[in-house]
Amino acid sequence: MNLILKGGEVAGEEGAPRRADVWVEDGVVKGVGEKIAAPDGVRVVDCAGKLVVPAMFDAHVHFREPGQEHKEDIAHGTEAAINGGVTGVVMMPNTNPAIDSAAVVRMVLEKAGEVSRIPVYTSGCITRNRAGAELAGIDGMRKLGVRMLTDDGDPVANPSVLMRAMEYASEFGMFFASHCEVAELSGPRALNLGRVSYQLGIKGSPACSEEICMDRDIRLAHAAGAHVHIQHVSSGIGMETIRFWKERGARVTAEVAPHHLMFNEDDIGEYDTNYKMNPPLRLAEDNAALLEGLKTGVFDQIATDHAPHSEFEKSQDFVTAPNGITGVETALVSLYDRFVRAGDFGWDLLVKRYSAEPRRLMGLDPVPVEEGKRAELLVFDPNGETTFSREFMKSKSVNTPFLDRTLQGRIEMVVAGDEILLER
Amino acid sequence: MARKDFLDIASLTREEVEYLLEQAVPFKDLFTRSVKKVPALKGKSVLMLFYEPSTRTHSSFEVAAKRMSADVIDLDVPQSSVTKGETVKDTVDTLQAMRADYIVVRHEMSGMPLAIARQTKASVINAGDGAHAHPTQGLLDAFTFKEVFPETDGRKVLIVGDILHSRVARSTSMVMRKLGVEVAFLGPGSLVPRDGTEGMRRFTDYEEAMKWSPDVVYLLRVQMERQDAQFFPSLGEYHRVYGVTQERLERLADKGTYIMHPGPVNRGVELCHEVMDYERSLINRQVENGIAARMAVLFWLKPGTGSEPPMTTE
Amino acid sequence: MPIVLDEAQIAEAVASLAAQIKDAARGERIAIVGIRRRGDEVADRVCRLLREMGVDHVYGMLDISLYRDDLAHLAESPRLQGSEISFPVEGARIVIVDDVLFTGRTIRAALDALWDYGRPAKTELAVLIDRGHRELPIRPDFTGVNLKTARMDHVLVRLKITDGEDAVELVESS
Repeated sequence: MNLILKGGEVAGEEGAPRRADVWVEDGVVKGVGEKIAAPDGVRVVDCAGKLVVPAMFDAHVHFREPGQEHKEDIAHGTEAAINGGVTGVVMMPNTNPAIDSAAVVRMVLEKAGEVSRIPVYTSGCITRNRAGAELAGIDGMRKLGVRMLTDDGDPVANPSVLMRAMEYASEFGMFFASHCEVAELSGPRALNLGRVSYQLGIKGSPACSEEICMDRDIRLAHAAGAHVHIQHVSSGIGMETIRFWKERGARVTAEVAPHHLMFNEDDIGEYDTNYKMNPPLRLAEDNAALLEGLKTGVFDQIATDHAPHSEFEKSQDFVTAPNGITGVETALVSLYDRFVRAGDFGWDLLVKRYSAEPRRLMGLDPVPVEEGKRAELLVFDPNGETTFSREFMKSKSVNTPFLDRTLQGRIEMVVAGDEILLER
Repeated sequence: MARKDFLDIASLTREEVEYLLEQAVPFKDLFTRSVKKVPALKGKSVLMLFYEPSTRTHSSFEVAAKRMSADVIDLDVPQSSVTKGETVKDTVDTLQAMRADYIVVRHEMSGMPLAIARQTKASVINAGDGAHAHPTQGLLDAFTFKEVFPETDGRKVLIVGDILHSRVARSTSMVMRKLGVEVAFLGPGSLVPRDGTEGMRRFTDYEEAMKWSPDVVYLLRVQMERQDAQFFPSLGEYHRVYGVTQERLERLADKGTYIMHPGPVNRGVELCHEVMDYERSLINRQVENGIAARMAVLFWLKPGTGSEPPMTTE
Repeated sequence: MPIVLDEAQIAEAVASLAAQIKDAARGERIAIVGIRRRGDEVADRVCRLLREMGVDHVYGMLDISLYRDDLAHLAESPRLQGSEISFPVEGARIVIVDDVLFTGRTIRAALDALWDYGRPAKTELAVLIDRGHRELPIRPDFTGVNLKTARMDHVLVRLKITDGEDAVELVESS
């Protein structure tokens, strides 16, 4: 493969996008410059008015395989990722069976090797079957490349179990990702405790349920000398908790999900299950605080918590319907539409937080569009539009608030190494 | 202004509430005739779908439907927590086969009637869902209130008890406020939410609440299991702190305050035994008015005006 | 639009109805029952004349909305006004009063409604206007005016209390 992306602007982690042509040859960025003359036989792609952007990386996806393939599987999940400009993912281990041993990790990675066009990483459970009691087969998973340990979907309820796991596994260079809540406080329903939970008549989960657990996990990691990564922070005080501990020098990183930036409890309307997830949507002021946290670097990265559920499951009543929405396909365009276009932040933030930092978290090199680096990039048309129709989406599930909505911005092409993964 | 479903008070306009209350009057007048039945719903079927046990609401709807000559079908569904595995889809499939014109639903899960209404052409009436809404109770309460106070604007109702878990508190406060009535809540701090109750006064002290001089004290039924969950220390303490004791009842009598209660009353808990003889108790009138209010709702709704049930893609 | 009856002609028709009812009553007490809406206003005027003539009578109003045979076909349910029958219907001699007699369906509903109050000794029908085109075996006993109309024509009756003026219009189908 040999092509020149001509006339576009190149986005990176620092500064505004700069006008440059990009020459990709044999999977490597051969040149980035103001004007690159195309040698004979090289395909020229007109990128005037468009952006050439490092491809995204999503460190929090639920691909449901093994065990819940009616919701999603690795083949569909990775195609959905490509459709959203994402060329690397970290799977969560709350599958069935849970990814809690070398055997299941091997099965998942082998499957990914067969069906996926992008690299798939998986996290492993902290405790066996995510039951919060016995430690999972940590060393076996580590040998297969697992770096992130998490019981995501649930916290490790017993602090002493978590602390021991941290003391044990940190020695292997592994880190911990925390889904934060105190089960006794939050109850079974994913809905913020407040005005909307009162109106809908459903027991609400207070933000302090998440904040207490977050604070606890950071303190435990601090005491155990571990690195803890706080997943999908949903509240302003949660953001401040992380800021506090970062300022104290704790080894803590954190992520924020697009839906917690964009939506709040008012969007639930009359029991719309496409706004039901855990942690739940909170208030407009939390949206603002989370955005502030993203802009000031309290959040290291954006991760979607891509959580597919079948239409049948989500069409149940709000209480019964499962938690979570899809995101890997809609994140980049919706973040552009909602924030970049409005001037809340620029492409540099998007690249840093949704492409470079999640790769660094996983011990991978970022993929800047620079001469000599492996080509892993996408072409984005800010003037184009994307309609998230059933036909457009590649995921097995369509449980997203963006279903059938049209947003500004369009991913035109995704390139990884020597392969054009997507071209519209 | 015809509607397919009757799911909550929140989506009604004041005009619609007033309309329904006016319509309920001629229905109530029928009760004094020797023949109490009218043929308005002749040939129509009303399906009773009660996933939670209820004597009062169930029989009230049944009488209302029968007085309008509808056929009443009681669907035998599993009650209480057995229904956790029950999905809307299962239910709706059953309902489609029954070809009912009206479906009266009571379910322990908030939002279930809406989920059913979205998937059926029949008119769905919410007979109580979780802690969300009990709109016909709200309507009958407003009807009863308006009989005593024809000019509702500026009147005051104090709702006492477990506001947090009460669909009656939600629907009745909502309908009263739509009629310009001021509403306040009184109850233990653990049972009166702070959020969502904006625009309503929140009392946790009985004497403070009485200084507000309500026209009606509306007592909610105390659910006995709340005591187990430690929302308050004991039923005895609840009665002493928030119940209408005999001494408090005498003071209410002096002030001419009316008492309402959705029934059935836990005597000795939210109310003392003497309330049965209290001359300003509207509790029995609420029961009678419930039938008229529900007839007005049945007469108002137009089944079959919704869209076809959507096809599931699986 | 052609006015077929003006205020004076309506008054004349009401007077004629009252006279016919008086003759038929033969001194017995009768019950005048107006069908809401407008039938009650006609009945009210008839009663005023009967009173002047010293005819012994009682008066009631019937809302037949809950007895209509077309409820299921209406886009909206009718606004109820309620019936007011304060005398015992059982054994009474009743004259049902309506403004216009057309298909006869309203009268059918009125008979059903009335029967739920009791079983009258005799029931008769008085109409201000008979416009023909019956769909049921019903005929008036007392008629104010006979009006020749086509099946699809509309007869619009306006009465002072209900509508602000007295006039009857015939709108022919185009």
